[in-house]
Amino acid sequence: MGNETLPNQFIFSEKMDAEALYNLYAGDYLYVEEIFATTLEHFDGDFGSIQLAYENGNTEELRKAVHKIKPTFGYVGLTALQDECKQFENACAGAQSIQEISKTYIPIKNALLEAKDLIQKEYDRLKAFNASQL
Amino acid sequence: MSFTCIIVEDLQVAADYLKRCCEKSGQLEVKGHFTGVADALAFLNTNVVDLIFLDVEMPGATGFDLLDQIAYSPKVILTTSKPEYAFDAFEYNVTDFLKKPFTYQRFLDALKKIPPAAPQVADNTVTESGLDHIFIKADGKLIRLNNDEILYIESMGDYVKFVTGEKKYITHNTIKNLEEKVSKQNFMKVHRSYIINIDKISNIRENGLFISGKEIPISKAHKQEVLKRLNII
Repeated sequence: MGNETLPNQFIFSEKMDAEALYNLYAGDYLYVEEIFATTLEHFDGDFGSIQLAYENGNTEELRKAVHKIKPTFGYVGLTALQDECKQFENACAGAQSIQEISKTYIPIKNALLEAKDLIQKEYDRLKAFNASQL
Repeated sequence: MSFTCIIVEDLQVAADYLKRCCEKSGQLEVKGHFTGVADALAFLNTNVVDLIFLDVEMPGATGFDLLDQIAYSPKVILTTSKPEYAFDAFEYNVTDFLKKPFTYQRFLDALKKIPPAAPQVADNTVTESGLDHIFIKADGKLIRLNNDEILYIESMGDYVKFVTGEKKYITHNTIKNLEEKVSKQNFMKVHRSYIINIDKISNIRENGLFISGKEIPISKAHKQEVLKRLNII
């Protein structure tokens, strides 16, 4: 009985922090859909700034770009990725050259791309869920 | 209780979330959202708000740069994902510090810290009128402005802006009230929104005059009086 869900309850991917999402949106799934849509709309631009800064070897611009995108993940329930971004941002701040952070850049870049896929999938599911509730 | 506010935030999703919190609270009217300091400052130069939700790290300049340049002192709630800024926030005497993302309840707790006496801009203007100076109450203190420092005074609804060569001061008053209080030797009303310092006019055109590069309109009703006061040869 404890694991039963209400018919109008959306179950987020287990990769997402459902509790954090509930704390932010209190089960307002239409609004969560909006938030996910806005996140996806701006993701490529923000991610592009990260890639460009890295390709230019500019650690300060890279730090700023990661700083900007970081809270996004808090708004979509990817709290662990927000923390990873925070660590990478700190690494950028302390780096003298781009080489110092090149090893950690690849994993964070991949994590960001995976996150986008996940947000997209959850957005599609949310959209279908919300449509079914009308 | 109702406050006017602006949101200065470069992350769209964070700005949208904050805007929704403001609307949901029923206590805040959002006058604008700006993604950078320059645009926000341009808005704040001609508009008065009670509260600013301010991100710290933005392209070009920081939220603290904005606080250094603003001509008056609205309440400020910092919104950032970097708790390291808490010390600076304390130095700038901000009302609260919200770490993104924050819950709606945390947002409401921050609003509770705003004193009901807002707006926090000055509440009186001229407290003493002399021959060569006036005192205005701005930023919680009485500030002496010599008549020859003031370029012009501009209406901003229930507030006015005193513009000097160095700084701008926003205070709670009206042009109509000030017209009676400033020295008539130095100042005159040229438009329902402007009182100007006659000595500061650099040139006049058909429907406007220039002071320090700023064009100020002259209304039809005041034009004859303006021309009469000038030393035209």
